[in-house]
Amino acid sequence: MTVSMRPKYLFKVPVNARNISPDAFASQTIDKIKKFEVWEGNKKRTLGELFEITGESGETPKETSIQVTGDLRRVKRIGEAMTEGEITIEGNVGMHLGEKMKGGTITVTGDVGSWLGAMMKGGTITVKGNVGDYVGAAYRGSMKGMMGGAIIIYGNAGNEVGCFMRKGLIKIYGSAGQFVGIHMHNGTIFVQGDTEGRAGASIIDGKIVILGNAASVLPSFTFDDVKKKVKVDGEEILGPFYSFTGDLVEKGNGKLYVAKAKNQHLDFYEKYL
Amino acid sequence: MTELLIRNGFVYDPINKIDGEKMDIAVKNGKIVEKIEGKRVKKINASGMMVMPGGVDIHSHIAGAKVNLGRLLRPEDHYKDVEPRTSKTRSGVGYSIPSTFTTGYRYAKMGWTMVMDPAMPPLKARHTHEELNDTPIIDKATYPLLGDSWIVLETLSEGRIDECAAYVAWELNATKGYAIKLVNPGGLEAWGFGRNVSNIDDTVPNFNITPREIVRGLCKVNQLLHLPHTIHVHTNNLGKPGNYENTLKTMQCVEGLNHNNRPLIHITHCQFSAFAGNDWRTFESAADKIANYINAHNHVTLDMGQVVFSDTTTMTADGPFQFILYQLSGNKWINGDVETETSSGIVPFHYKRSSYVHATQWSIGLELALLIKDPWKILLTTDHPNAGPFIAYPKIISWLMSRKAREKMMKRINKKARSKSLLPTIDREYTPYEIAIATRAGQAKALGLKDKGHLGVGADADIAIYDLNPEKTDLNANPRLIRRAFKHAAYTIKDGQIVVKGGEVVKSISGRTFWVNVEAEKALVETRILKEKFAEYYTVQYENYLVPEHNLAVSAPIQVHAEV
Amino acid sequence: MPIVKNVTCPICGTFCDDIELTVKKNKVVDVKNACAMGEAKFLNYSDPHHRNLNPLIRRNGTLVETSWTEAIKKSAKILAEASYPLLYGWSSTCCEAISAGIELAEEIGGVIDNTSSVCHGPSILSIQDVGISTCTLGQIRHRADLIIYWGSDPYSAHPRHLERYTAFTEGRFQPSEWKRYVSRLRGVIGKKKLERASQLALMEEFSVPPITGNQFPPTLETEKERKLIVIDARRTHSAEFADYFVQVEPNKDYELLQAMRMLVKNEELEVEKVAGVPVGVLEKIVDVMIGCKFGVLFFGVGLTMSSGKLRNIDAALALTRDLNFATKFVIMPMRGHFNVTGANMVSIWQTGYPFSVDFSQGFPFYNPGETSAVDILSRDESDAALVIASDPVANFPRVAAQNLVKNPLIVIDPEKSATALMADVVLPSTFVGIEAEGIAYRMDGVPLPLKRVVKPPKGLLSDEEILRRILREVRKLKRSQRRSNA
Repeated sequence: MTVSMRPKYLFKVPVNARNISPDAFASQTIDKIKKFEVWEGNKKRTLGELFEITGESGETPKETSIQVTGDLRRVKRIGEAMTEGEITIEGNVGMHLGEKMKGGTITVTGDVGSWLGAMMKGGTITVKGNVGDYVGAAYRGSMKGMMGGAIIIYGNAGNEVGCFMRKGLIKIYGSAGQFVGIHMHNGTIFVQGDTEGRAGASIIDGKIVILGNAASVLPSFTFDDVKKKVKVDGEEILGPFYSFTGDLVEKGNGKLYVAKAKNQHLDFYEKYL
Repeated sequence: MTELLIRNGFVYDPINKIDGEKMDIAVKNGKIVEKIEGKRVKKINASGMMVMPGGVDIHSHIAGAKVNLGRLLRPEDHYKDVEPRTSKTRSGVGYSIPSTFTTGYRYAKMGWTMVMDPAMPPLKARHTHEELNDTPIIDKATYPLLGDSWIVLETLSEGRIDECAAYVAWELNATKGYAIKLVNPGGLEAWGFGRNVSNIDDTVPNFNITPREIVRGLCKVNQLLHLPHTIHVHTNNLGKPGNYENTLKTMQCVEGLNHNNRPLIHITHCQFSAFAGNDWRTFESAADKIANYINAHNHVTLDMGQVVFSDTTTMTADGPFQFILYQLSGNKWINGDVETETSSGIVPFHYKRSSYVHATQWSIGLELALLIKDPWKILLTTDHPNAGPFIAYPKIISWLMSRKAREKMMKRINKKARSKSLLPTIDREYTPYEIAIATRAGQAKALGLKDKGHLGVGADADIAIYDLNPEKTDLNANPRLIRRAFKHAAYTIKDGQIVVKGGEVVKSISGRTFWVNVEAEKALVETRILKEKFAEYYTVQYENYLVPEHNLAVSAPIQVHAEV
Repeated sequence: MPIVKNVTCPICGTFCDDIELTVKKNKVVDVKNACAMGEAKFLNYSDPHHRNLNPLIRRNGTLVETSWTEAIKKSAKILAEASYPLLYGWSSTCCEAISAGIELAEEIGGVIDNTSSVCHGPSILSIQDVGISTCTLGQIRHRADLIIYWGSDPYSAHPRHLERYTAFTEGRFQPSEWKRYVSRLRGVIGKKKLERASQLALMEEFSVPPITGNQFPPTLETEKERKLIVIDARRTHSAEFADYFVQVEPNKDYELLQAMRMLVKNEELEVEKVAGVPVGVLEKIVDVMIGCKFGVLFFGVGLTMSSGKLRNIDAALALTRDLNFATKFVIMPMRGHFNVTGANMVSIWQTGYPFSVDFSQGFPFYNPGETSAVDILSRDESDAALVIASDPVANFPRVAAQNLVKNPLIVIDPEKSATALMADVVLPSTFVGIEAEGIAYRMDGVPLPLKRVVKPPKGLLSDEEILRRILREVRKLKRSQRRSNA
């Protein structure tokens, strides 16, 4: 069962729409859903005032799918803490998409703001476009980022992907900014494109794989070996890769794999072989 | 001013020896009066409810530089506990270190009306007072940290007690403080170079003095100045296995100074100072040893520092201790030393039931409260937020009042801690009268607050009414009801005004800030000498150090007459 | 002529409190003890060419004089109607005004942000991740035998910092470096110039070149002397005073800091140079850090704004924390405006958060990057703004500034700032610390009083009074709105 939504106008101020979620919509009539409270800046509104809503919701969250079409760049927190079901967004969407998500799927055709899947515990988020900073990160001051699930991004990602990540998988087919995986405790991050350096800063454990140019490797990583291939989420990725362990400043045992092909500037490490 | 008549409640007023008697309490002009009549009198029907003096908290870190750094450190702690604004109240955040407005409201909602902030660095006194000004409803006071002040160490090491007393009197006035606070005496000065003192007889580096001499010296100063409270002491070696011996020595070291059987020293958050064992493996409770001593002596009061299993934020002036806590926990750590005076440290900390040490600490607090026979000697605190946030008081009250509640928790704690705990051997259950002592009467008495903690004629009309019927309810068997009643007071009355009704704030008023204004026969401090020392020791000007009275939103000076 | 002593200086975060002012006919005519910046402020603050003496309101595209009543009413209307108003500035006013501002922000469901979000905001975010080992400035004066400035040029930005709190001050346990500096000077330029050089103001022309590169001065390894090290991407004025200057390759501070952390932890580096510094030199610097009795690292925006931003501070905080296992080590941000620390402090105790606080849902929410002024404006999410005690039009990125001025804009400022010229309502205020009193916090969190030494021009109100009037008017508007709704 699908509920379709379309914004009535381009929102000028941020809209906080945490209850656009299969958990909230399940077993509710469209009329009831229209009366759900949302915040447009500091004004309390109803979903019906901001969105055209049609279709029907399922009996349970699992049977509920939500399709939102339009420019949602200022709409935040869609799918927050959702446990089951499906959200499809055709267009761009704002920050905190799928934050604290526990299950189900979110698919976006356009770009997404920062804090995508922050602190998520399960489920899958797929983004066709680019995303902002702090993918799968923790809230300010917290040491518990993403704790499970998967985030797949076909475009580029900003800085600090997987900050304080504890578990789960982040795959980026485009490029990523600085500090991929900073303070990561565990989990896997794969970047097919380039990164802007400092990957793995202060990580304690986990795995980071960079196929493109890594810009730099921190001096606090120790060079292990050249590896022919690396496994990411059960899939074998062919290298060869320079393999590093770190971050030693945190007595870390994380693994950083950087493809040799795009990183000739690191060949001086081969003298340690 | 409102005139109130609280009718037919079960009144618990231990200072006036009233134990659950059904009676009326009359209020006029913010004070308790003999009786009141007329049409304008607002009547509150308290039948079937408990009526107690407003709660008093002798030790709760609610304001000042260190508390604010703690707030800064923990956005993730605020984020999970927010308070939206209402038509009566400002917004704010919790959890373990609430913002100032929320602190005032949450205390008032539980029926507490006076709270003492126990650790003010004198150089940052203005900061503490700015925060207290922004803490609504409750009355407040704060203790300047004086145990490591250079001028105190110098005057005491040279035996110049009178000069030290003069200086302390000046500090109390300059910082608008209430009592003399000592934290790990000598250890904080040593921490200035990253060191510590190892026990009460260790010499403080660079100063020819021991912690014992500091404690005794300031105890004498306290007597000379006739301050309302005793010295308020956080012992050396706090939080270390085996520290109880040092705690006993600290209490013993002032024994001889006693002349009139009155308390001389308050050992605060005693749970943290009642550890036996040689290291964390052999760590165990020494509550019985402390209790035996307290039961045999009358010159000491204590407060519990009861551990509550939760995620909280530890913060003390004890810089070296907090550094150890950082090493133990691996959490983020703030250190904040203050020139010439003191230090501080902050570490988030999670007390877990599954941990042997944490569960034993939980047990120690309750063992102290239950093994010390005289409830006037041990007061209820969590050393907020060090052993848990103050909103846990209702839970602790239920543990004290109900063996059943304790047993329920015992089943869920670390096995080894359970098998070693003394609690299963203790049957004692606090009566409502004893709870009133531990949470208000005893606190006010220890603080020397004459108009607080009781409901006699002339007392401040700070009153808490709890929807709990001691005749109809078997309290010991119903800890949940106890918790519910104390969590949301049916009414809280502050200075004769109804501020909380049904657990919600219905009116917000400004509480007062109490401080001690010491008068003496002669000018206590020769300003010229002090100014010279001051210029040498501080990076601010003498004049700018003084907190003028108009910096206090509602100033309530207590005049005392010194013996010097 | 009356002399006012112990005046605090409302300029930079050093917040000196020993200024002596001579006041004649309600005018400051002489300034003692202040640096050049402070002196200029006290003598020239009230230049009528730079000051509005009446409220202004924009009519038909031009700013015209108006009454306070109308200006306040207009401001209240703008703020009460807005859906996502932004209240920005705050670091150069007193805590009382900041407190009124937070109350106003809560009342109108706005976002309140202070200038730390564009200077030391990254430092604060890192403190929230790592913590900080710090102290008041007097600790450094009395105890520090190793002083490091990183990405900070106190000589230019905090002129009296060195003389009042650090290298050139006498402490109880630590004598001043001054004497050694002078003797080095003697060796270099000879006796004659020495007499003149003893004045700090003349320092620049007779500066001693600090030692850089592989040459390592022996004084750095002797135990007793107070030592000064400057680390920066360029050779600053302050570097000229240092015993040792380390030039870091631009935007490589993070690598240098992490490499130092490696050495502190006795790990070996597998590279020969980090950020342009040979590992051998780095090892010596780290030895000095471990070997000192009390070390301090002051850092400025040179570090917070170099590539990596908050994570540079993350590493610096962790480095100084780790050093405490070996010795005593502290770290402190060199805060810019005289009360930026106070703006953080008040915001923290009232809302839980230091800056970028969003009240749009009735409670405080904080997430810099999302709720910070520059980011909100860059994404064009706000629909009205009040700016106080700062000049974002001159300082913000172009897009942010453009989006700020296209919406209704209220400015409270004593001066005709660039932002004020673009405003819809201008509310001229008094100079706090000269014409109005209050409380402000020094960079190390020591609260001090701001003094009123002269009377303000007639008709001007303090920042706090203006904000309180707007707040009252907003509440009046909301009451009548509620009544008409009912």
